[in-house]
Amino acid sequence: MLLKTSLRSFLAHKGRMALSLIAVVLSVAFVSGTLVFSNTATSTFDKLFASTASDVSVRPHSDDTADRQVGGKVGTVPVQTVQKVSGLPGVKSAVGEVLVSSAVLVDPATNKTVGPTSGAPTLTGSWVETPRKSLEITSGRAPQGSGQVLLDSDTAKKAGLRLDSPLRLITATGSYDLKISGIATFRTTNPGAALAFLDTPTAQRLLLDSTAYTSVEVFGDGSRSNDELRTEAATAVGTGFDLKTAAEQKAENAKSVGSFLDFMKYAMLGFAGISLLVGGFLIINTFSMLVAQRTREIGLLRAIGGSRGQVNGSVLVEALILAVLGSTLGLFGGIGLAVLLIQLMSAVGMNLTSAALEIGASVPIASYTVGIVITLVAAFIPARRAGKISPMSALRDHGTPTEARANRIRAAAGLVLTAGGAGLLVAAAQAGKAATGGAFLGLGVVLTLIGFVVIGPLLATGLIRVLGAVLPALFGPSGRLAQRNAMRNPRRTGATAAALMIGLALVIGASVFTSSMVSSTNAQIDKSVGADYVVQGNQNGLTPAMVSAAKSAKGLAHLTEQKQLAATLTLPDGSTSKTQLAAVSPTFVDDFRLPVKAGSATTITGGGISVDEDFATRHHLSVGDRLTADYGQGHTQSLVLGLITAKGNSFSDGNLFIGLDTVAKAVPAAELPQDAALFGKAEAGADKARTLDALQTALKAYPQLTVQDQAGYKKIVQDQINTLLYMVYGLLLLAIVVAVLGVVNTLALSVVERTREIGLLRAIGLSRRQLRRMIRLESVVIAVFGALLGTGLGLAWGITAQRVLVDKGLSTLAIPTEKIVVILLASAVIGLLAALLPAFRAGRMNVLAAIATD
Amino acid sequence: MTTAATAVQDPRLPGGETAPAASARQLTKAYGAGETRVTALDSVDVDIQRGRFTAIMGPSGSGKSTLMHCLAGLDTVSSGRIFVGDTEITGLKDRQLTRLRRDKIGFIFQAFNLLPTLSALENITLPMDIAGRRPDRAWLDQVVATVGLADRLKHRPTQLSGGQQQRVAVARALAARPEIIFGDEPTGNLDSRSGAEVLTFLRRSVDELGQTIVMVTHDPVAASYADRVLFLADGVIVDEMHAPTADSVLERMRRFDGKRTS
Repeated sequence: MLLKTSLRSFLAHKGRMALSLIAVVLSVAFVSGTLVFSNTATSTFDKLFASTASDVSVRPHSDDTADRQVGGKVGTVPVQTVQKVSGLPGVKSAVGEVLVSSAVLVDPATNKTVGPTSGAPTLTGSWVETPRKSLEITSGRAPQGSGQVLLDSDTAKKAGLRLDSPLRLITATGSYDLKISGIATFRTTNPGAALAFLDTPTAQRLLLDSTAYTSVEVFGDGSRSNDELRTEAATAVGTGFDLKTAAEQKAENAKSVGSFLDFMKYAMLGFAGISLLVGGFLIINTFSMLVAQRTREIGLLRAIGGSRGQVNGSVLVEALILAVLGSTLGLFGGIGLAVLLIQLMSAVGMNLTSAALEIGASVPIASYTVGIVITLVAAFIPARRAGKISPMSALRDHGTPTEARANRIRAAAGLVLTAGGAGLLVAAAQAGKAATGGAFLGLGVVLTLIGFVVIGPLLATGLIRVLGAVLPALFGPSGRLAQRNAMRNPRRTGATAAALMIGLALVIGASVFTSSMVSSTNAQIDKSVGADYVVQGNQNGLTPAMVSAAKSAKGLAHLTEQKQLAATLTLPDGSTSKTQLAAVSPTFVDDFRLPVKAGSATTITGGGISVDEDFATRHHLSVGDRLTADYGQGHTQSLVLGLITAKGNSFSDGNLFIGLDTVAKAVPAAELPQDAALFGKAEAGADKARTLDALQTALKAYPQLTVQDQAGYKKIVQDQINTLLYMVYGLLLLAIVVAVLGVVNTLALSVVERTREIGLLRAIGLSRRQLRRMIRLESVVIAVFGALLGTGLGLAWGITAQRVLVDKGLSTLAIPTEKIVVILLASAVIGLLAALLPAFRAGRMNVLAAIATD
Repeated sequence: MTTAATAVQDPRLPGGETAPAASARQLTKAYGAGETRVTALDSVDVDIQRGRFTAIMGPSGSGKSTLMHCLAGLDTVSSGRIFVGDTEITGLKDRQLTRLRRDKIGFIFQAFNLLPTLSALENITLPMDIAGRRPDRAWLDQVVATVGLADRLKHRPTQLSGGQQQRVAVARALAARPEIIFGDEPTGNLDSRSGAEVLTFLRRSVDELGQTIVMVTHDPVAASYADRVLFLADGVIVDEMHAPTADSVLERMRRFDGKRTS
């Protein structure tokens, strides 16, 4: 009986439910889409690694030292290793391979780098036949001799390269012009990397400059387990090697792909979370309005003996129907979304197949749980209110009774939360340590957000009275009616505006943060960077050939080299610290004005070392202390701490500087890594622009390098930050879409609720145009109200974040005034758009029918 | 009957007191088509005299409300012509009709006459606000004084009694000085004392302010406040009565009942 009532009521209000349904569907779709996508990706990669990994792989031993150096030497396995393992019992074959990520491919025709731009590596190696290969040659032949290269088909297609096209290979040993002898296609999924192969002798010569391998891959004959094979091989090859079974290799590879997939997953779950949060308000509003409209009906139900629980239950059952329907649609929507994402990934270069969608039990379970829980939670408050309706309401003419007591509680709770949150924000801004400040900030953001949501309805009355005061003057009676309508149900206005508020608060907070970041970085570049030019390589650093080419550029006063060097420092208290050192040429002190906390910058080039303030504080160091640096391979050196850099500078924070000359005394030149970056200064009186041209021309053969002057360097930093911001914007666009649905929903329901009023207004002479304007203005008022709250919150958050990070390089506060004005104007436009349909419907209403409506 | 017949012979007297405030000629209103066609009004001819209080009576379904809605430009007609003042309203577009209602017509409905978000005074001046006209202060004060609401002007409708709400509605209808006021059972929701109050105000506005009022009612007592009562049955004006009393109207109405039961 109860179910029947709920079902009938649900069907009777399908139009009204539709918007709430969209909110549920969107949220659930993101959850299920994320899961389907990551399940599919994970299983595809598992299959890929399982099908291509050797049984045991022998590689040179590496601590993480090598990974931390830019352009360091590649470790190798001697050729004899192959013989040592191939004779072992249970080994079918052992193959030596070369594969490095330090080489760069360039299309000579365009002088542009070939390969992924998304951060995936370009791998160059030797083409050897093994029992399990991930690629097969689909045209041409395997590379033979020093002039031939084999390229993977995805990379070739993207770069427009064909069989016999020329391809340049740039390695640590030089640049080589090759010809494409063949194209190979991935048998399974292409994980996104570019792959190029030479024959083994050429690979050894060009890539390693020694007759060795980077790994030996062992394949068993099946008589022994991989673990047994590994144990035997380990004894055979001796120390200095890392041996990994297929399972271990798989785990290692999965981890590296996983970090990218995890990022996608969290970004998508972020979407889901925001749409759930905002959608929650939409659901609350829909059910509140349905309950308000049905006050008499519910009163009647109570009068004829329905219990409070039954009424409460009937609303919840209606919500449950919505939830189940929404979750089901969302579940399928999510699968569609996953297919879309897979297509998108393949456009980026990761070829997942949507044919093998991995759905699994977790997807429907998560979808229904999320959809049902959120809907029921959101519908609970209106349901409880419905339960409280007295049987007397059936007899009374309905109207919304003011709940003075509830309002007082609400005001108190909201004020306490907001004040607490604001207090935390202030505390965060004044906290000495960024870590405590960050915790305060996080908690403050949450508390102020909840506080604003709670107090929103009360603010609505006050703020809209002020905000709307101009409306009657500007728009006459439509304006006055709109203002009063927006104020008449503050709880509804508050909840509607809250949805918009959340999105905009995040947008504005993020905008303040990023623009502060840009202007802080710019200010620091202006303040600390004396160099006119910066040359940066990719993750591989700059070869000596590149450095000498750069040096040949005309008009340069000097060129400073910087190497990233891994080292273990032994401190005066006996503790050790694994870290990276920035080893620099003496001219470095001209190129960078390091902020001095104690000591002197010149000590860096005079045999000393510098640490940043945090490092010094953490390890209780002071100028004059003696430290021992261990560079590995038995090279150690005793150093005097000559400079402690003051914190708050993004160039010196986290960096330990040391003279290149100093390091050279302990480490032989051949063992030093390549340069990580170059800094140049123009000669006094030289034309800086022309010198930049000269430098760029000198390095033209190396398209993988970026050559920038200060302005270009600033722009790069800005672009990096903006990329971050655009992602945030993308996330929030969704929140705003859902918020707009909320405004449409509220207005549409209000129009229905006010049918008689609209009829009356039309009867006494309000024109259609005036009526539509009234509804549009109400919408705009609600939207602008939400935007104002959001702007206030966002500014408070952004400013606090800047204060918290003032010591972490975010020294200048920049408020993007223009952006904020645009956002406020956009919110008014959002209001206008949201009102289109409700206003149209109101205008179409038949006057007589509207008056006659009960 | 005779008056109606005379009016047909002399439909549009030029100018002066004798020109009707509103009139209908051969007004027919039908719903549906073919088999299911229902005729609500059947070739009705009627003149509403200026400065008089006219009541329209009839049993349920007689078409009295439909007649009023058509005269007031709220409903469309199937055929025939309607004039409000000098303007023929049949064939007007929605925008022109809205403007006509705004400028020339006042309304008092049975219930839900006021916007809950506006104060009593704002409700009274709403039609003028909509038109963008400034209310005539002296006239407004006079109207407010007449309906006895001077101390209630700042109140919201929810803070007023049902009778007070209807008086605000009367004041709104009067304040804009429309050519004609239409009342749709304006006292239908009130107890007899409040109803009498409202009807007294309507009567006074005709006598003292020279207002033209048309009121649909089924209450013979309410009808007795009018100068003239038109009786409708089955979409046709079947009778009319001048200077009615409650008893005479009741007597006339009984005859409908008698006719129906016979």
